[in-house]
Amino acid sequence: MQGAWWALGIAVASIAALAYYAFVVLPARIHRWRCEGLRAFARLIELRTQGRYGKAEPLAELASAVALRLGIPLYERRRMELAVYLRDIGMVAIPYHILNKPTPLTPAERDLMARHTEIGASITEQIPGLWHVAPLVRLHHVVYSEQPDAPLAAHLLSALEDWIRVAESADADTAASMLKQGAGARYHPVVVQAILSEVRQRTLDGVQSLTRSAALWL
Amino acid sequence: MLVLGAAAVAVLMHAGAPLLQAQFLASFAGVALLAVAAEVLLIRYPLRPEYSDRGIWLSVSTPIVIAVILVYGWQYGVWLDALITLLAGTVTVYLRSTRLRWVAVNSFQSILSAWAAGIAATAVFGVGLSVWSLHAVGALGLGLLVYMLVNGALVSVTVALAEGVRLRWVLAQTLLSLPRDILLMTPISFLAMAALHAYGAMGLLGVLAPYLALRQAFVLAARQQELYHQTIRSLGFLVQRAHPYTGGHLQRVSMWARRVAERMGLPPERCELVYEAALLHDLGKTVLDERILNKPDRLTPEEWEEIRKHPQLGAEILRDTPFLAPIISWIALHHERPDGAGYPFGLKGDQIPLEARVIAVVDAFDAMIGGEAPNQRRPHKRPLSLDEALAELEQGAGKQFDPQVAAVFRQVVREWRTHREARTGA
Repeated sequence: MQGAWWALGIAVASIAALAYYAFVVLPARIHRWRCEGLRAFARLIELRTQGRYGKAEPLAELASAVALRLGIPLYERRRMELAVYLRDIGMVAIPYHILNKPTPLTPAERDLMARHTEIGASITEQIPGLWHVAPLVRLHHVVYSEQPDAPLAAHLLSALEDWIRVAESADADTAASMLKQGAGARYHPVVVQAILSEVRQRTLDGVQSLTRSAALWL
Repeated sequence: MLVLGAAAVAVLMHAGAPLLQAQFLASFAGVALLAVAAEVLLIRYPLRPEYSDRGIWLSVSTPIVIAVILVYGWQYGVWLDALITLLAGTVTVYLRSTRLRWVAVNSFQSILSAWAAGIAATAVFGVGLSVWSLHAVGALGLGLLVYMLVNGALVSVTVALAEGVRLRWVLAQTLLSLPRDILLMTPISFLAMAALHAYGAMGLLGVLAPYLALRQAFVLAARQQELYHQTIRSLGFLVQRAHPYTGGHLQRVSMWARRVAERMGLPPERCELVYEAALLHDLGKTVLDERILNKPDRLTPEEWEEIRKHPQLGAEILRDTPFLAPIISWIALHHERPDGAGYPFGLKGDQIPLEARVIAVVDAFDAMIGGEAPNQRRPHKRPLSLDEALAELEQGAGKQFDPQVAAVFRQVVREWRTHREARTGA
């Protein structure tokens, strides 16, 4: 009788291990593989705009960390990560001389630039396995006061991308105060809170300046 | 449909009578419960994804049904299959909003298939086989074969009638994957049989769980393949719209490049990669200023300088995509020439990978016959005829083109032309 229980235990354990592999490990691997494929799109935009747009790695890494803090479920986190790589893909349709204009853009040109979210979403919708990412591509510059109902992940991308841009061009403190000022108006207040605490945590953890680490990433 | 239904019910009634006195009833109930649960829980996947959603489904239940037929007798198998298809089908109606009518049709088909399989297996191998024998494996294989043949034929007829497709085509689609499926299902069926024989319904549980994991791995492998092609297709789409190729340039170049690679004796998966690399060889142009790419007249030296960056830019785009790593160097080097006059590095002869040499020849040839943007045509201004282009190819062999590749490619083009002429009747 003792032997039978042992056998049963081993059988159950090995079945559990197999199931874990097939339903946890493999899907994660597929997701990684998928991100690697989409990285080409991000890199394309990055090269086309000489590094001004499309940079994905720092945003992907920070966004996942903040999303974890916000309790965004795994499925949504993965969707968000795909959106990070695809978000600026609409810029393939924006003329090169506007993307790379050394002087400030005219209002008309700025309008055209703002259409990259819409164009990107319509490109994404046409790719069979990626249609579910299109809403996030469309909303990755969402303004909280205009569309408070947008997915939390979209609010997160919108705020975080602005944060990274300011933190790189100025410093992390300026970026943080910009987020605080915009909380409730341009940015989702909950998202702003989460980003700020994530950043504070990292500073405490000894990451001296995220600006530097973001620069190292590239 | 009515005939099908009547036949199926008749088989069920015929099978039902001796079943009631049998001693396996409790065990059978357990097996049925498990099989139905498995059938519902598993996402069934279509054998041929490009085919309609009502296509053939490889389900877990088939190997189990065959195992039950051999262990308990064909009557049990028929009833089990009826239960599975009806119950699981009804549940999927709610889960996946399929039509109830199809559940009935599916059940009838399964019952008849199980009956045929049972009859065939018992007729050839008899009843009461010992589990650990070659005969048992043979009986399983035969049972699966008959089941899938009958089911495939019935389903094909139904699909052909319902969707107005030609029966022969549907049948071919169905039968194509038959050997592979039987090969896959026989071991599972054997395991199920052994487990049933030794432990009854509980044993089946032990077989199903690993099967489920295995199947999941299968689905994900297919998914991975799909993602791979999806990435390449999407990138190809971007290349196509970035650059004003005349119709079909990329397709022609890819097709010819693969053909040449095959002739040069490269292994099949390498040839597929050559096809994809040829499709994406101008990926770098998506990064360039489209005012240069679209410029109708001759380019200035500075503009040429920009254009000459595209092989390396293409490689740069794919830098972080490990599964495309093999094609990166081919893309980066597709404008190198064997005489060292190419760009970006001016490599010579064997320093250039064979695949890059193939793409260079094919791309240049298609440009000669007018597939390239007007401003980037090489020394000649008007598109050449096929013969002129072939002559050009021969002249350039050893200088601009790899002689061996050029020779193989000339052959490929000649064959292509004969084929085209034969088809158009010219």
